[in-house]
Amino acid sequence: MPNVQELNLNYNAILPELCVIGAGLAIMMYDAFAPKGPRRLAGWIALAGLAGATYSVWRLWGLETAPSFNGMLLTDPLRLTFSIVFLLVAAVSVMFSMQMLDDERLPAGEYFTLLMFGTVGMLLMGGAGDLAMLFLGLETLSITTYVLAGFRRGDLRSNESALKYFILGSFSTGFLLYGMALTYGATKTTNLAGIQEAIATGALTSPGLLTVGAALMLVGFCFKIATAPFHFWAPDVYQGAPTPVTAFMAAGPKAAAFAAMLRIFVMTFPADGGDLSRATTGVLVIVAIMSMIVGNVAAIRQTDIKRMLAYSSIAHAGYALLGVVAGDWTSVMFYLLTYAVMNLGAFGVVSLLARVGDEKTDIEDFAGIGFKSFGLAMLLTVFLLSLGGIPLTAGFMGKLVIFKQCWQAGHTTLVIVAALNSAVSLYYYLRPVVVMFFREREEEFVPPRVSTMAEVALTLALFGVIYLGVFPGRLLSELDRLAKRTPAAAQLNSQR
Amino acid sequence: MLAEYLPTLLFLIVATGIGIALILIGNFLGPKRPSPEKLSPYECGFNAFEDARMQFDVRYYLIAILFIVFDLEIAFVYPWALVFRELGVFGLIEMGVFLALLFIGFIYVWKKGALEWE
Repeated sequence: MPNVQELNLNYNAILPELCVIGAGLAIMMYDAFAPKGPRRLAGWIALAGLAGATYSVWRLWGLETAPSFNGMLLTDPLRLTFSIVFLLVAAVSVMFSMQMLDDERLPAGEYFTLLMFGTVGMLLMGGAGDLAMLFLGLETLSITTYVLAGFRRGDLRSNESALKYFILGSFSTGFLLYGMALTYGATKTTNLAGIQEAIATGALTSPGLLTVGAALMLVGFCFKIATAPFHFWAPDVYQGAPTPVTAFMAAGPKAAAFAAMLRIFVMTFPADGGDLSRATTGVLVIVAIMSMIVGNVAAIRQTDIKRMLAYSSIAHAGYALLGVVAGDWTSVMFYLLTYAVMNLGAFGVVSLLARVGDEKTDIEDFAGIGFKSFGLAMLLTVFLLSLGGIPLTAGFMGKLVIFKQCWQAGHTTLVIVAALNSAVSLYYYLRPVVVMFFREREEEFVPPRVSTMAEVALTLALFGVIYLGVFPGRLLSELDRLAKRTPAAAQLNSQR
Repeated sequence: MLAEYLPTLLFLIVATGIGIALILIGNFLGPKRPSPEKLSPYECGFNAFEDARMQFDVRYYLIAILFIVFDLEIAFVYPWALVFRELGVFGLIEMGVFLALLFIGFIYVWKKGALEWE
């Protein structure tokens, strides 16, 4: 057993997580001791914790890559950049949720506590240097999201969503855990740097065991990011959950699962044409193609906008897989950042237009509101066009960067399929726009109430979409610089 | 090599033999006066009042969850007690943090009224 001095207990390295945990606990105590009535402060405590966490991430930014806590946690550019995505998603979700919780008189204390702990899970997944840590983060995240999905306790759809998510999520976790166990059996360690070293030096108990382990982990991750053969849960879950929760689920946990996937399949497993990398790349190419086609084709036929966005999210997971296939983490990170901004924006507008209790989520419900609720309609249009990948929006830049990387890595067919899919997807993204602006409305329409926090969140999302779409240069060059500095995990072994 | 297992084989034969012999002796010599009560399968305790598939009060689950929380706490404290000397003050503080977190949860449950039965 290593003694305490050798464990490398670097509390600076977990300061972001500590801030968010602190906020979660503070909300719990506030919820327990505050007098009766709505918990208006809970959201603000959550935002304060997230701001503190963002500051702590920023403090870690320039530091050298280093493991801490006996190799459990790895502070490297992948962790830091993804942390920013997670914190942004959490903050925007908090802002959207405040109005919903207020309108529907749901218990805000519980809601924000769960959201905070879920964010901690995401942060830990991004920084995991060990399979055990990764699994712990994933479970923390999953359990809170299961509860959040069913947060509207009186609503049957919300209950259905939570139950489906719970059962299928636990099932997929089983795959992941079994894969991890087999990988451990093959490499005799759960530490990612150790696994990499074992593969590089050929110190495997059985190469077949590692392949099966990798395959099972791949299945587990594909479930979590909702890619095609494993996507069946996504539409029902996304439709049934309260819309701000859906916004969070589609942007946050998806990005977290991608971060974990990149850690294992890009940064730990060797990239150079071995049996393992050829097998995983082959599977990922097929999964990506299926995901894009299934997602886009099924989205065309949807009449419910939340369901349509759910299928679009399946297609987007397919696009993001292109970067995993190419073995380039920065492009995936950038893509997920752009996806998070436009997706949060789109679901945010939908949550406002759908009214209290998510009553009106049919695309037809939005008929002719374009000029009656001009601001919201324009915002939804911008976010949908961005999801479709129109130039000058974040969605276009994200796709451009990831397609370029994939093309350079030599997967030309995959890029062509993705580009064709992207063109098809424009059809269904434009449909709500057409319905909003060019259709007569028969019923009366009262513009929905938009709280200040929702306005701030929408402004943030809009700013993100425009900024990432028009001026991505600075961010991309910073990412490039970080990527060059990312050392292989094996080099860290000497420091461990 | 196989000869070493001879005692085991003998043991098996004797044990099986005695078992069979006892059952046979009982069958041949024992008096047989069967009654419906005697022939029914043996079951201890009361007769069942109702179907076992009934609805449980949701509070049972709450109690079960609370039990698990504190059970896990104890399960974590035992190994710590074993290596207490090696970990020293650091271990004490870490355990304090762990217990404090659990305690916060406990306060929350208490204040929310989850421990009130009625």
